[in-house]
Amino acid sequence: MPDSAFHLPAYLLLGLPFSCFLLLWLGGKSLNKFAGWLGAIFTAVGLVVSLLYAEPDLLHTIRFTWLTIGETQIELSFRFDTLTCVMLAVVHFVALLVQVYSTAYMHHDRGVGRYFAFIQLFLFSMIGIVLSGSLLVMYIFWELVGLSSYLLIGFWYTKKRPVWAAQKAFVLNRIGDAAFLTGILMLFYYIGSTDFEVLSLKLDTISPGMLTVIGLCLFGGCVGKSAQFPLSGWLPDAMEGPTPVSALIHAATMVAAGIFLMARISFLLTIDAKLIVAVIGTITMLIGAIKAMQVWDIKRVLAYSTMSQLGLMVVAIGLGSWQTALFHLVTHAFFKAGLFLSAGSVIHAVTPGNELHGYDPQDMRTMGGLRKALPITFICFLVCAAALAGLPFFSGFLSKDAIITEGFLWAASYGAIGYIFPALILFSAGLTAYYMTRQIWLVFFGENRFPAAVHPHESPVAMWLPMALLAVLSLFFWFSWNPLNAMGWFLHLVGQGEHGHLGWVPFVASAVTFVSIFLAYRQTQAADPFGANAAMAQSESKTERLIWLRDYSDEHYFIIPFAYITRYLKLFEKHVVDALVNAVARGSLVFGHLIAWFDRMFVDGLVNLTVFSVRYAGQAARGLQSGRIQSYYIVMAMGVFLLILWLVAV
Amino acid sequence: MIDHILTFLIAIPLLGAAAIAAWPTGRHEHFRLIALIALLLEAIVAACVYFSFDYLDAGHQLSEVKDWITLPIGSLGVVSIDYALAVDGISFPLVLLAVVVLFAGVISSWNINHKARGYFALYLLLSGSVIGCFLAQDFFLFYLFFEFMLLPMYFLIGLWGGPRREYAAIKFFIYTFLGSLLILIVMIGLYLSAIDPVETARAVGIIGIEDAIHPDMIPQIQQWLFDGKIAPEQLIHTFRFSYLADPGNYIPGSILATTSEIFIGGIPVRLLAFWFLFIGFAVKLPVVPVHTWLPDAHVEAPTPISVVLAGILLKIGGYGFIRIVDGFFPFEAQYSAVPLAVLGMISIVYGGFNALGQSDLKKMIAYSSVSHMGFVLLGIAAFTAEGFNGAIYQMVSHGILSAMLFLLTGVIYDRTHDRRIDHYRGLIGVMPHFTVITGIAFFASLGLPGFSGFVGELFTLMGAFQSDALPVWIPALSTLGIVLAAGYFLWTYQRMFFGSFWYKNGNTHVLTDLTRRETVLLIPLVILTILIGILPGLLFDMSGPTVSAWLETLK
Repeated sequence: MPDSAFHLPAYLLLGLPFSCFLLLWLGGKSLNKFAGWLGAIFTAVGLVVSLLYAEPDLLHTIRFTWLTIGETQIELSFRFDTLTCVMLAVVHFVALLVQVYSTAYMHHDRGVGRYFAFIQLFLFSMIGIVLSGSLLVMYIFWELVGLSSYLLIGFWYTKKRPVWAAQKAFVLNRIGDAAFLTGILMLFYYIGSTDFEVLSLKLDTISPGMLTVIGLCLFGGCVGKSAQFPLSGWLPDAMEGPTPVSALIHAATMVAAGIFLMARISFLLTIDAKLIVAVIGTITMLIGAIKAMQVWDIKRVLAYSTMSQLGLMVVAIGLGSWQTALFHLVTHAFFKAGLFLSAGSVIHAVTPGNELHGYDPQDMRTMGGLRKALPITFICFLVCAAALAGLPFFSGFLSKDAIITEGFLWAASYGAIGYIFPALILFSAGLTAYYMTRQIWLVFFGENRFPAAVHPHESPVAMWLPMALLAVLSLFFWFSWNPLNAMGWFLHLVGQGEHGHLGWVPFVASAVTFVSIFLAYRQTQAADPFGANAAMAQSESKTERLIWLRDYSDEHYFIIPFAYITRYLKLFEKHVVDALVNAVARGSLVFGHLIAWFDRMFVDGLVNLTVFSVRYAGQAARGLQSGRIQSYYIVMAMGVFLLILWLVAV
Repeated sequence: MIDHILTFLIAIPLLGAAAIAAWPTGRHEHFRLIALIALLLEAIVAACVYFSFDYLDAGHQLSEVKDWITLPIGSLGVVSIDYALAVDGISFPLVLLAVVVLFAGVISSWNINHKARGYFALYLLLSGSVIGCFLAQDFFLFYLFFEFMLLPMYFLIGLWGGPRREYAAIKFFIYTFLGSLLILIVMIGLYLSAIDPVETARAVGIIGIEDAIHPDMIPQIQQWLFDGKIAPEQLIHTFRFSYLADPGNYIPGSILATTSEIFIGGIPVRLLAFWFLFIGFAVKLPVVPVHTWLPDAHVEAPTPISVVLAGILLKIGGYGFIRIVDGFFPFEAQYSAVPLAVLGMISIVYGGFNALGQSDLKKMIAYSSVSHMGFVLLGIAAFTAEGFNGAIYQMVSHGILSAMLFLLTGVIYDRTHDRRIDHYRGLIGVMPHFTVITGIAFFASLGLPGFSGFVGELFTLMGAFQSDALPVWIPALSTLGIVLAAGYFLWTYQRMFFGSFWYKNGNTHVLTDLTRRETVLLIPLVILTILIGILPGLLFDMSGPTVSAWLETLK
């Protein structure tokens, strides 16, 4: 198809969700009943459009001139290529399932119309990111996606924590975005454009050192959006939003936008930049995995796990293999969305009709034994968890393997110290298997620990069907026919070269996974499995304060310095800048009094003054003779002044 | 009429003011109606100008020139002050902004009935002089309007303001007045140093008194001037912007001649003059550290006056930078690019941090204005097409957004007379529409794409990055401003609007949602910020050709 044929899908893909957003938002409560299905239908149409126009391997670009400023012409461009096709399909598909799920999950909420409106706004901005053909366009939608995330995290605006979490997410993201914007503007300076095609052609005009700086600035955007160290603190708190939102935005799509960005710009990352990217990714991966082993909130475990998996993808980018990162992004999108939706189903099931004081339906310590009451949810959760843990025959196994293989190949060419990366990836894979086993055991096995007022029940079909579909998509054969070889159609599609396959990696990786599961299993046989009962006894907030891994990016890390600077600058403003002004004013007043005294005592008494005035008056009169208009002006000014005095006095 | 259309723009508000002053009855309904009609007429005339404005023409349009004052002053030549008005791509966006903001201001003044005659007359006087400032093409005329603005402003704050209004009014007056003095000094110096080549040609006698001059003759006159062939009595001095901006019109050996080698305190006199002018306009913009009048003036001023103050008066500072400071001292401006940009950066960051620390809603917005106007200075310091266009755009954008923000503050102040942020919680429960519009205004101000704030910040920053004179760290640090903006706006939003409803002084029934008048006032501003945010070409196409042509002559 020619490029011009792609105007229509671009308009449709962006126009559908946006018009749906306007419709639902302006429609308000009157559309509450159909909002969910309306949204789902719009998204389904979008999915069909994106599949119809899928032409992988071919690049289509459409451009609009946005404005001309000086000699610079700013273009907005949209781009269809392999990466776009893959992302469009994933985003639409997950969004569709999440909306179907939400029709049941959000059924009782009064603001359900607003909820689906915001979901559509999110979809509009996310699709914008996916379609963007230049970094500027991506930045525009990048910010809009931040807005929709803000609105959805803070959806229950009467509660304190969600609103606080929404604000935290936006501000922490803004820090990354400021770096992102700096990178974009530097590219404008050095190259004059941020269009991906232009960039790839003109890249060699920039010195490598500057390119490293630019690459790292752009990576700043990814650090914010994909919750990388040190801006990752917002992601666990973002779990205050509705659970389907967590599935869609904070697991499958939006947080993956950072990975998408890095995949798009991977060609401009220098070796140094990549190394730093890999280090940041590794830190995030380990912190996420360690935290996931410690928290008790069912959603927070998944949130930290998301953080850890995003770290893994960033490591893959840093190792120079955006294809495997994208592969893991896609498999992760399905199984993590499945996990969140299943977790939502669990929360839905154990939420009592009336609020119970001191009971938190998301706390895993008050769950247990739910596999009997929620068989479908249990199976879906189990399958998706297996994919996350990286068990053979599941999708996560393939993508994780691909990254580990890349790691070993990269280390072989880099040198002995490079082996630290694949080793740490294997280690965190082990941690992943451990915390998922812990979670499954705490939620579904053991004895019932929830209060008697809770009557768990299986969710309706609108909820379990999306879960089941996502669970099915977490199986290996969708991505590669050989369960032990990641080089399936998907990696071929995104252009991964056949440059190496290490036959022993799948076995080592599986061994690590099984050992971890075994270790976790031994815990379940202990007197107090995972310390759940002991931790329950003491107040949670106290223990959480002591853990530096949580606090490092909590408000202590970022807000406190800001607060200090703010306080001192405010004091500076009041006691230095303003006080100086007042002192000058007071000083001139005193000086004025002095002069007046001098005037009375000396000048006034002197006859000279009279002489002086007469001479002066004579001069002034002489001046007036030649310019009558001047005197008119004085008369006019006097008149206006008197007029004002009169007006004011009335 | 079309020949004098710009005069109408100035005259309509002034005539309105006169009509109010002379109106026989003392009913405030009549005064506000006259003010509204005058500004409605003003808007219609401005629309006529808009439709006859030629986007591609980079020069002056709709010019009106009349000799005003001609005065021989002996050996110093002849004073010639012209009544010269024109619009071009730099001033016209600001004229349009002024009309919109003044119109919004008069609607929000609807409930003022204390000394209404004086209020509305002064308001129209202010309107006329503000518009005059943007239209004037003669430095003297400009200065007249510029000074004249102070008077109504002083009384409007001092008589209709809040509890500390006298302090705020006098502070405002003294600050701006001292700034004006610096401008006046330079104005006199410029005037003594430059000539009007056309009138000089007539005085010399190479063309007749009534003849038009052939464009080729101007370089000839300038050459004669350069060679010292023209007698001092025949030199016609001038205040005209267009002549002052042409280095050829400066008398060799005069105090501010482009080749001037005069030093005062070891500093070249032209550089000194540049900084004098800069400080004069920096007070208006305002630039840290001469900004402290602004928060006080805003806090004490009544809502409509805050709207006008933030919406337009600050922009005269930026306009003065472009037209006068950079226009007459381009080399000094490029030489001082780094200190100017650093001042812009400090304004952005310092204003942002102070906004974060405020507990008074109006003060928070006042400091956010300081921060946002810092971007204007940054763009101007860059001395690039992107920077100047971005600065003009940012001024228009901030004019609309700050007008919205102050109107929204006025909504809450009207109801409770309480602007403390921490006295409110969960306003969304009782004022949902107010919450939505405030949300839009906040997100637009913090630079969300799709709204105008984003474009302004993007292009001023882009201009600063493009500039070869500025090191990269200045704009890079300035991006901290957009982080801070997200911080102070969202934090305020969270504290005042979300959570469960609570108001400190209990009297909750007064907190009702937007009235129809307030909605009618705010919605067009929302539409405007989105419109120019999505189609920034509406402004850039207007300012672009003028800025490019102008940069060409300066470089």
